[in-house]
Amino acid sequence: MRTPRALRPLIESLATVALGLVAGGLLIWAFGHSPVAAYRALAVGAFGTREDLLETLAFATPLMLTALTFAVGVRGGLFNIGAEGQMYLGAVGATFVAGMVPMPAGVHLAAATLAGMLAGALWALIPAVLKAWRGAHEVISTIMCNWIALHLSMYLAINFLAEPGRAERTVPALPTARYPVLSEESTLTAVVFVAVAFALLVYAYLWGTRAGYELRLAGENPDAARYAGVRPERVVVLSFVIGGLAAGLAGASQVIGRPPAWSLYATLGNVTTLGFDGIGVALVGRNHPVGGILAAVLFGALAKGGRLMEYEVGVLSELVRALNGIIVLAMAVPELWNLVGRRLGR
Amino acid sequence: MRSKAGLVLAVAVALALLPQVAPTLAAPRTFKIAVVSDVGGRGDLSFNDMAFKGGEDAERDFGVRMVELVSKVEADYVPNLTRAARDPDVQLIVGVGFLLSDALAQVARRFPDKNFVGIDTFAQSIVKEKFSAQYPLPNLMDIVYEEHKGSALVGALGALLAAHYAKPHIGGVFGIEIPVLWKFEIGYKWGARWATEWLAKNRADKAFTYRKDFVLWTYTGTFSDIPKGYAAAKAMYAKNAVAVYNIAGPLGLGINQAVQEIAQSQKLRMGPPFWIGVDANQDWINPGFVIASMMKRVDRGVYYATRWVRDGQFRDLVRRTQGVVTLGIGTRIAGQLAEGISVSTLDDLDEFIRMGVQAERLTRKKVLPASPAEIKSKVKTMREAQPRWVWEAVADLEKKIREGQVTVPMVVTKPDIERWRGELGYRPGRFFAAAYRSPRR
Repeated sequence: MRTPRALRPLIESLATVALGLVAGGLLIWAFGHSPVAAYRALAVGAFGTREDLLETLAFATPLMLTALTFAVGVRGGLFNIGAEGQMYLGAVGATFVAGMVPMPAGVHLAAATLAGMLAGALWALIPAVLKAWRGAHEVISTIMCNWIALHLSMYLAINFLAEPGRAERTVPALPTARYPVLSEESTLTAVVFVAVAFALLVYAYLWGTRAGYELRLAGENPDAARYAGVRPERVVVLSFVIGGLAAGLAGASQVIGRPPAWSLYATLGNVTTLGFDGIGVALVGRNHPVGGILAAVLFGALAKGGRLMEYEVGVLSELVRALNGIIVLAMAVPELWNLVGRRLGR
Repeated sequence: MRSKAGLVLAVAVALALLPQVAPTLAAPRTFKIAVVSDVGGRGDLSFNDMAFKGGEDAERDFGVRMVELVSKVEADYVPNLTRAARDPDVQLIVGVGFLLSDALAQVARRFPDKNFVGIDTFAQSIVKEKFSAQYPLPNLMDIVYEEHKGSALVGALGALLAAHYAKPHIGGVFGIEIPVLWKFEIGYKWGARWATEWLAKNRADKAFTYRKDFVLWTYTGTFSDIPKGYAAAKAMYAKNAVAVYNIAGPLGLGINQAVQEIAQSQKLRMGPPFWIGVDANQDWINPGFVIASMMKRVDRGVYYATRWVRDGQFRDLVRRTQGVVTLGIGTRIAGQLAEGISVSTLDDLDEFIRMGVQAERLTRKKVLPASPAEIKSKVKTMREAQPRWVWEAVADLEKKIREGQVTVPMVVTKPDIERWRGELGYRPGRFFAAAYRSPRR
């Protein structure tokens, strides 16, 4: 029986999820717990009730965006691992507009969202320009930019955005700049719709427009792209800017779209690692915007369901994290395989 | 969808491959308490470890069971509190540390049948601000501490040591200037002044008059940048401060480094110079150089709260206190003594050394600077090397505070802090710049 081509990546991903879970199950078993009970708790904790499902989606929301950052990079032939830093700046930009610039309702929410996205995109321009016109390798420059962004954001949060009397975090978003909470029982807000819409928009752009086609062509085969008249600088800047917008939105989503704090912690504690986690999500999602949404839900489920696994079965939190890692590794296998194959084949 | 399919597949495979482990049988209904840590988690040797210790004490004395939920990121607070509240056996959920205030206010509203306690939180004031119709929530209690009184005791201790060693200053390294820290600042200075009055009456040979520049103090503007603690403390010791009070959490390690440098260059085995710990018993960090610690007994808070829930007093207490219970020196709750502030003693040290041993096992990193016995003997030697009248005077102040013979000012408002600074010492020194400009050996 032949499987349709479009389903192949889905089946591959599913197989590796299973492989990862079995390997993780062995690990759980080795530590003296029942893998069956652990996975039952994981599934129930992530999807057991409406409330669990909504919270899983709340965890998934920023991940689908930071996954998009990495995915668009790879589609354009880049290893953009700068989502982390771009996301920090996005959170700072959103905090500033949402918390310190009063505006009428409606306009304010849009302005804060845009401020976060633009701040992320501006930060992404640094490695983009360095790559496009100076040939600086984006892996190096994005890592450096991540560190600079970390300290810059903490500096801005502590010195310019802090709420008087509360040293641990910035001013909260004004009520006019908060996404509506979808249900009192979870921290999910309407920002999830914006995130999904943005991912679909990027999908439509990459697969439905000429510029998107050029970007993917440059990623698949830079020589052919150049021969066809695609300007590589344009592709580099474009994929970084799209990625920066996504990462900026991810950062903003945790400030203006996540109760109860509605603000950025001075340590950046409520956003850290969301950018790096996005890389794994993107790999599992096969660097596809829609795949990224699905993979983000899976990762959200691990984050949310792992809690019950720890609570009910007593699987240590460190083991929960190891399990996450194993599944990520296993799920990344086909994509890594493809990448290596492509590099070697060239 | 695909994740669900994956789960089903994996569970099926796991079933086939692995020997079945018998699922644990449901135990009879037990009284459970849940402790939700902040991002510091287990092994912080401070707030979180103390809260878990309080839970263990409650397990021992009240036959309850404690479940621990460690928060890794800020986004975990709400789901962790919710998780605990959804367990039908859990009757009390404790959130540790002020970072959980928002989350407690939100989750407590959703579970009116469960009891919630925040340690060092201000959840009820968030309820008042955001959901004023529901204020005060009948199932939510903030437990706070009388830091000003504890700070007065260590301020007195510092001033008495300054008298004994004929040193001109004591110091305080503060974090970010927020109203909570004003309680520490004014308490500390007030205690120092009290000590000068005590000396005038009881030890005229050692007496000196309180000067407004006697207490050196710096707000470093950070609770995490350890080198700033070092720079601020170094400048204070350069001015010959006998002891420096850590009111900036991890910056204490910076203060300790400054002390350590002096100790090494002068080959000292014991202070002066000293420093003064905060929150937990920090005397073990550098035995012989931490004269004492101002302890906020988080463990007591968890312990008392469990007892109040067990005895059915909890809601009544919340109603009578508007949901804010203060533990301190001589504080009585529901007719019983319930204290939460003290200056560390040699006996407290054992518990905290045990905590250090546990943390070493947990993190596989070296935590304790020496063997437990060695730490204990060094601290004992240090304490015995100070004249008895120093300790007696501190005990005298504690007694007077407990009996209400003296009142330590509690300062949390702008006008109050201005007034008290005018009385006890106004200008913060510019120690930073000095420390960087002219490094002294």
